[in-house]
Amino acid sequence: MSDYLVRFTLRQRIEHFSVMTLFTILVITGLPQKFFDSSWAEAIILGLGGIDRIRWVHRAAGILFTLFTAVHLTLMVGSVLTGTGSLSLVPTRRDFEDAIQQLRYYLGTADAPARFDRFDYRQKFEYWGLVFGAVIVISTGFVLLFPIAATRFLPGEIVPASKLAHGNEGLMAFLVVIIWHIYNAHLSPDVFPFDKTIFTGKISVERMRHEHPLEYERIKAQEE
Amino acid sequence: MLHSLLAPLLVAIAVQAPSPPASPPSSPKADEIEMCLSCHGDPQMSVTLPSGEARSLAVDREVFARSVHGDKLGCVDCHTGMTEIPHPPRPFKTRREFTIAYYEACKRCHFASYSKTLDSVHQAAVARGDVTAPVCVDCHGAHDITPPDRPRTRISATCARCHEGVSLTYAKSVHGRALTEDDNADVPTCADCHRSHDVAGPHAPGWRLQSPELCGSCHASKSMMEKYGISTNVMQTYVADFHGMTASLQRKGAAEGGAVVALCIDCHGVHDIMRADEKGSAVMQANLLRTCQRCHPGATQNFSSAWLSHYEPTFDKAPMVYAVRIGYLVLIPFMIGGLVLQILLHLWRVVVNR
Repeated sequence: MSDYLVRFTLRQRIEHFSVMTLFTILVITGLPQKFFDSSWAEAIILGLGGIDRIRWVHRAAGILFTLFTAVHLTLMVGSVLTGTGSLSLVPTRRDFEDAIQQLRYYLGTADAPARFDRFDYRQKFEYWGLVFGAVIVISTGFVLLFPIAATRFLPGEIVPASKLAHGNEGLMAFLVVIIWHIYNAHLSPDVFPFDKTIFTGKISVERMRHEHPLEYERIKAQEE
Repeated sequence: MLHSLLAPLLVAIAVQAPSPPASPPSSPKADEIEMCLSCHGDPQMSVTLPSGEARSLAVDREVFARSVHGDKLGCVDCHTGMTEIPHPPRPFKTRREFTIAYYEACKRCHFASYSKTLDSVHQAAVARGDVTAPVCVDCHGAHDITPPDRPRTRISATCARCHEGVSLTYAKSVHGRALTEDDNADVPTCADCHRSHDVAGPHAPGWRLQSPELCGSCHASKSMMEKYGISTNVMQTYVADFHGMTASLQRKGAAEGGAVVALCIDCHGVHDIMRADEKGSAVMQANLLRTCQRCHPGATQNFSSAWLSHYEPTFDKAPMVYAVRIGYLVLIPFMIGGLVLQILLHLWRVVVNR
C-alpha cells in the first residue's frame, strides 16, 4: 500500500478551485460596494476602474457562481437519487456528539479527541454554510439585479431587505473564510503552512489515520 | 470698451444756473452733492440719446439720502470725469450702453463682489454681447440702493423682473409660499441656491451632481428642520441607498459621470418642490410610481415601495428589512465569535499537549 490515498476526484478539485476564484472576485468587488463610503473601499473602487466596472464584474462573477452552484447541487442530488453518491456530507447526530467530545477534549475534560469519518463536523459545517450562504446571496442577488421583475410578484420591501441580506451574508462569508477556513487550511499547527489535499487530491496515510480514522479503518477493512 | 469708441458723441446738457442749497448739509460730501443737484435736482432734466431714447438725468435728493450711500458718497465718487462744467462729451448711443458703462464704477469699493460677478452666468451673457444681461445696477439700483434682502421677499422679486416664469413656479412651491405668505426666514430664496454675485445655473459644470449638497445645507441641519418637524435623516437615507451611493461616487470621480442617477431634484422637483404629503407632489405615495417610471419604465406598483421614503427601517416602517438587520446583527458576532473561540481552544490544546 502506498503512503497516500486519493481523497478528492478531479471534479471536486476543479469545483473547489472555481469557487475559490469566484469567491475572491465576488469579495473584492462586493465588499467595497457595501462599505463604499470608507476610504479603503473608495481606493479599491478607483483602483479597479470605477463603480460601474466593479458592478458589472460582480454581476458576471455572480451569474457564473450561480451556474456552478446549480450544476454542483444538481450533480449532488442526482448522485444521491441514483445511488451512485454517498451521504458522507449529511449532518448526523454523531456530528453533534463529535463536536461536544472535541470541545471537551480541548478543554481537558475528555481524554481523547473525537474520531471522525470522511468529513468531520467542522468540514460539514463549512460545506453547508457555503450551500445556505450561496442560496441567500444568489436569490437576493437576483432581486437586486432585476428589481422590476422581482417586485411584479413580491412586495417592494424585498429590494432593500435583499440589499441588506446580500451585503451582510457576503460579509459573514468573507469573515468565516478569512478566519475559519484560512486557519484550518493554512494556519492550524496540524496542516501549517498549507493543506494541499484539495488541490492535489492526495492525503497521506499518516494524516488519514490521524484526522479521519473511521474512514481509514473502513478502507483498510475493505482491502483485506 | 465703450469708452474707446472712435466717435464720441456729445451729450448735450442744459446747464441751469446754480441755486442755493435747499437743506443744511448732512454729509461730508454735502457741498459737492448740492453743487450737482443744482442742475440734476430738476426732475425734468433729461437727454435724448442717438438711439432716440430719452435718458433722465435727474436725481431725487431724498431718495439718494435714504440710500445706503446717502451719507457716504458724493456724486463724483461714481461719476468720475464729471468735475468740469459743462461736462465732457459722453460716447453713449443707447440707454443700455450708458448703464453698462457704470458696471465698472462699483468695483472701486466692492471689489470682492465685482470679481465674483465675473464668474456669473450673467457676466458670461454680457461677454457674449447680450446687452440685456444684468449688471450691478440692474439688481441693486443706482441712486436708490438699499439692502437687497430687506425684506427677504425682495430677493426673489428682483430675479422675477427677468425670470418671470420660473419665479411664478417658485412662488407656488413649498419654499416660495413660506417666503411670500409667512415671511419665513429659513426657506431658500433664489440667491440661496443660485448664489447672488457669482450666480450659477443648472448648466454650470458639476451643478447637477453638487445639488444634493445645496438641499443638505438646510435639510441636514437639525436646529432648522426640527422647527418644521422634518427629519434630517433624509440625506443619510438617500446616500445609503442605490441612487445616493452612485451619486456620491460620481462626485468623487469613482463612477461614470454621464450615468443618470436620481438626485433629490429628480424626484422632488426643483422650483416646484412641494410637501411630500401634498396633493400634486411628485413624491406623495399616490404619485410615486409615476415618478419612478420616468426612469424605470417597466415598474409596477410594488416597485415604488422598494424605496422606504427616507425612513430608517424600523419595525413599524419596514419590518422585513428590520428583521434582516437584527438577524445579522446577532448572527455575525455569534458565528465569528464561536469560530474564533474554537480556534483559540484548539491552539490551547496544541500548546498543552506539547
